Amino acid sequence: MGMSQADDWVLLAYRLPRVPSTPRSAVWRKLKRLGVAQLGDGLVALPADPRTREQLEWIAEEVTDHGGEATLWLGRPLDTNAIAAVVSRMTAAVAAEYDAVAAEAAVMRAADAVARRRAVARLRRELHRIQGRDFFTCPQREAARRAVETLATTDTAGART
Amino acid sequence: MKWATRPGVHVDRAACAWLIRRFIDPGAEFVFPADLATIPAGATPFDMRGAALGHHQGRCSFETALEVFGLTTDPALEEIGHIVHEADLADERYDAPAAAGLDVLIRGLTLTSESDHDTLAITGRLFDGLYEHTRRQLMTGRPPA
Repeated sequence: MGMSQADDWVLLAYRLPRVPSTPRSAVWRKLKRLGVAQLGDGLVALPADPRTREQLEWIAEEVTDHGGEATLWLGRPLDTNAIAAVVSRMTAAVAAEYDAVAAEAAVMRAADAVARRRAVARLRRELHRIQGRDFFTCPQREAARRAVETLATTDTAGART
Repeated sequence: MKWATRPGVHVDRAACAWLIRRFIDPGAEFVFPADLATIPAGATPFDMRGAALGHHQGRCSFETALEVFGLTTDPALEEIGHIVHEADLADERYDAPAAAGLDVLIRGLTLTSESDHDTLAITGRLFDGLYEHTRRQLMTGRPPA
């Protein structure tokens, strides 16, 4: 499902103590996995829908659980050029992940059947993960999906059935 | 008793509501205020930001509820906790392949439900079935046919 750039965004402004560093890095890892746009130090954003809103709400809860401060905002960008740059940065990050999957699928076509089957299972899971943070239906998605499905139907090394 | 959670219930809230009705309060009455400040007096909030029955220490609300209600000794409930955790958070802490299907089914259900009460009526049956399935699987070591 594609989203236009003019849609609402949900923003999380947060501050966590520098020490201990474990909660800080745990929060950052979770934000990365969600595919947030980092707009500033302690300010991240996602295109708003009920799911992203809830995801950031729980991260806000985690921040306050660790003695930090967190506020959630719903906002609409007024600067369309700037938001286009944010969107293209998010898209480029996801595109690079799709490209890596497609490249690995291509390499694995030369592997033996057992290794290929394992790679297919792993790459399908990886695609699923990437899709969760692909908010703008990145064009590389389809190419990566096709590369993995081609690997799945590769019968003998390097050849397709 | 009255229990309050956010409207537009999804997997974690549906699972908590099932747990409450089945193991804690058979006459549970659920209300769906939009935020913690507007919950009716005497209602216990769950799966809302700031509630004790919420996400804490990396656990989803259902897992927190198992702890709070002292239901951690039931292995089937623990297993359902893993499924709900993955359906809700997908952080791959647990191996729970059923999670993806449960997530899709409940999301689809909320798109066509007339109300949150309507959703909970159906998810209640779903979780009854999931509990029975998980219990039998744990007893025999094999998925029930």
